[in-house]
Amino acid sequence: MNTFIRRPVLSLSIVALLLTPLPAEDWFRWRGPNLDGISAESGWDCDWPDGNAVIAWRATVGIGFSSAVVAQGRVFTIGHVDGHDEVHAINESDGTVGWRFQYPATLDDRDFEGGPTSTPTVDGDHVYVLSRAGELFCLSVATGELIWQQSVAEQADVRLPGWGCSAAPLVLEDRLLLNIGAAGAAVDKKTGELIWSSEDRESGYATPVVLPDSDPPAAVFASGKAYVAVEIKTGRQLWSERWLTSFNCNAADPIISGQRMFLSSGYNRGAALFELGKDDPELIWKSKEMKNQIHGSILYKGHLYGLDGDMESGARLRCMDWETGEIRWSEDDLRPGGLTLAGGRLIVLTEAGELVVSPADAAGWRPIAKTKVANGKCWTGPVLSNGRIYCRTVQGELVCVDCRS
Amino acid sequence: MPIQRRTFLAGTAAAAAAVSAPSIHAAAKDKQYRTALIGSGWWGMNILREALAAGQTKVVALCDVDSDRLEINAEEVNELSGETPSVYSDYRELFEKEDIEVAIIATPDHWHALNTIAAINAGAHVFIEKPTGHTIGESQAIVNAAAASDRIVQVGMHRRIGPHHVSGMKFLKSGGAGEIGMVRMFVHSRGGEEKPTRNSEPPENLDWEMYCGPAPLRPYCGRIHPGGFRNYLGFANGTLGDWGVHWLDQVLWWCDQQSPRSVYSVGGRPIKGEAILTDKEQTTDAPDHQIATYEFDDFTAHWEHRRFAGKGPEQTSIGCYFFGTKGTFHMGWRDGWTFYPADEKKSIVHEDSQLQEPDGHNLKLLWADFVRAIETGSKPVAGIEIGHQATTLSLLGMLSLKLGRSIQWDGNSIPNDPDAARLLRRDYRGDWVYPT
Repeated sequence: MNTFIRRPVLSLSIVALLLTPLPAEDWFRWRGPNLDGISAESGWDCDWPDGNAVIAWRATVGIGFSSAVVAQGRVFTIGHVDGHDEVHAINESDGTVGWRFQYPATLDDRDFEGGPTSTPTVDGDHVYVLSRAGELFCLSVATGELIWQQSVAEQADVRLPGWGCSAAPLVLEDRLLLNIGAAGAAVDKKTGELIWSSEDRESGYATPVVLPDSDPPAAVFASGKAYVAVEIKTGRQLWSERWLTSFNCNAADPIISGQRMFLSSGYNRGAALFELGKDDPELIWKSKEMKNQIHGSILYKGHLYGLDGDMESGARLRCMDWETGEIRWSEDDLRPGGLTLAGGRLIVLTEAGELVVSPADAAGWRPIAKTKVANGKCWTGPVLSNGRIYCRTVQGELVCVDCRS
Repeated sequence: MPIQRRTFLAGTAAAAAAVSAPSIHAAAKDKQYRTALIGSGWWGMNILREALAAGQTKVVALCDVDSDRLEINAEEVNELSGETPSVYSDYRELFEKEDIEVAIIATPDHWHALNTIAAINAGAHVFIEKPTGHTIGESQAIVNAAAASDRIVQVGMHRRIGPHHVSGMKFLKSGGAGEIGMVRMFVHSRGGEEKPTRNSEPPENLDWEMYCGPAPLRPYCGRIHPGGFRNYLGFANGTLGDWGVHWLDQVLWWCDQQSPRSVYSVGGRPIKGEAILTDKEQTTDAPDHQIATYEFDDFTAHWEHRRFAGKGPEQTSIGCYFFGTKGTFHMGWRDGWTFYPADEKKSIVHEDSQLQEPDGHNLKLLWADFVRAIETGSKPVAGIEIGHQATTLSLLGMLSLKLGRSIQWDGNSIPNDPDAARLLRRDYRGDWVYPT
């Protein structure tokens, strides 16, 4: 199979995007078009007079932690309502319902409020949804019609992790990479047919990340006990970095930049930076100062911006030097619930539903705008797309904040 | 308050232990205690970190039935102290091979007695998590073992020493709330209907047979381990056997360790649903709500917990209300203590908590008190008698719930009621021997 020879083109297009600020773009997948948690949009501002932003609309999407993705004028997310998970396609312009698609699911609120935890992925005319029970759905973006569904956990004959599947499907060429089993699985994106799978062990909760410039093309999967590099074509394991975390809760996507990989988990696990080469990763530094429990950090201009510590007891927003692991600053009283980055600014949604914007600057946290947008607990990262910021509460309020310039 | 009081365990070995002077160890200030942690889970590591931070701990061994926990925690101990502890899956082997001066016991409840008695017999001072037993007989056996030794036993009831608890108790004992006729203890949390979880093979890193140990062997499911044992009555005693111990202890502290003369408890699982245990699947079996009434000579205390919607109209969902003639006193957790005077012209009195994070506790103070007791022979603030009495009250509540009727208590036993007295102990599985 030669389906991955277009990889260099992808890299080039990322560079191009980074160099050219875009007025608006669809945030069609988890961590955005560039898979780095950073929006290239420039056509937005946070000029909120007296702390009042323009709330374009509010929608009710059900209990859960799924974040929003945006494509073709629609906003997609998942929530739990009365024995079902519901995929919502909401019209970006006015918040009206485009369509809804339901599948039976339990709330499964062990240790948290429950509901779906993964984010849909849009690829062309299709939106892919992975349920906590390991059921994969392919829906029509336009109509919500079910194109196919596959029980990937059953097909691959692998156990589910304690809190169920939570990674977003990653579309690569002809296939979807799913974080399920010891080191992921791949299915045909047209049929859902299993291409390869891995051993029957718990997966972690992070979304797979492509290993840049790898030969053969490879992706890194967070398993319950390690971060594993796997050949995309075959599922063959290239290397594995053992990374034990309480409850097998490896939930932050690895961050790979150049030949280096940053890993971080909560539950007092901490972080580490590794040098990647032909063989196993080599440790550069290790630190307890950045413990990403459920949100991955964002790497921007040589610094990591991330949430340190377990959410339940209150995480801290921190800036960490990529090269050394030193903490540049720490904002301890903000109670952040999630973050994104756009136009050189950090956009933080606090647990209490306040949006706070500050330049993403290693020199310090200097909020330039604040606005209270949501009522309820927010643990899902905000998403900026086409000049609008989407904020979601656990109980299922989705708020569209119109920030178009 | 009236002078005639029925006090706990008067004339028993525990009381004798309380007055006998432990041997005093002339220890240098920089003495490093060879320490073992038995049960290397979340809370055990919280204790161990405090022990390390206090500066007189050399961690020589970790024990757990989960090899992942051992690996993660040995790595952390190494990062914190530079030492590499030996790891064990069987506490008996650990005590046989290692010379341990201090043992921290943080296993699930059904292991506490066997672990602690083994530690005492190996010559270790013990910091044991509450409750001190899964059945009252186990807790009594620890009291007996401690009494027969000169070892210090501190029970992890950090609320005995937390600053707001100390000052709140002073306020209460000096009559700040007036005469108190009733106390309500409560811990409410979120919950709902429970669907059964499919049984599965235990994960490869877990020695499930040893996890169950003296308790009945049940099929494994992912909800039990890690972190779920409290809701399975074979291993623990639900919310009353967990949180209840802390708040019962506050009542015992306030009333100078009086003993109730009767206990009555009701509760069940109307919301969670019937407990299920089959070859294929299982649910938890702890009650989703419970009320336990403790009849003391001159006041009544009652416990309640519910796991439905969490917060209700009350201002707080955790703590104790002491209802007095001058007003109502709330001893809380993160919210400190607050006194609401009956006289509306008087203002509310409040004191903030002073907790350590994460997880909001006062282990630092409790550990320092433990080391002080080891070094000077002072009486630990939450010694085994204190822990045993609070544990006993919580387990009497569970006993009454299981029996479905009230029980009498004479401070030491259940008189003239063999059916109830039988539940003070349970049969152990296989070759494990119930301690005495």
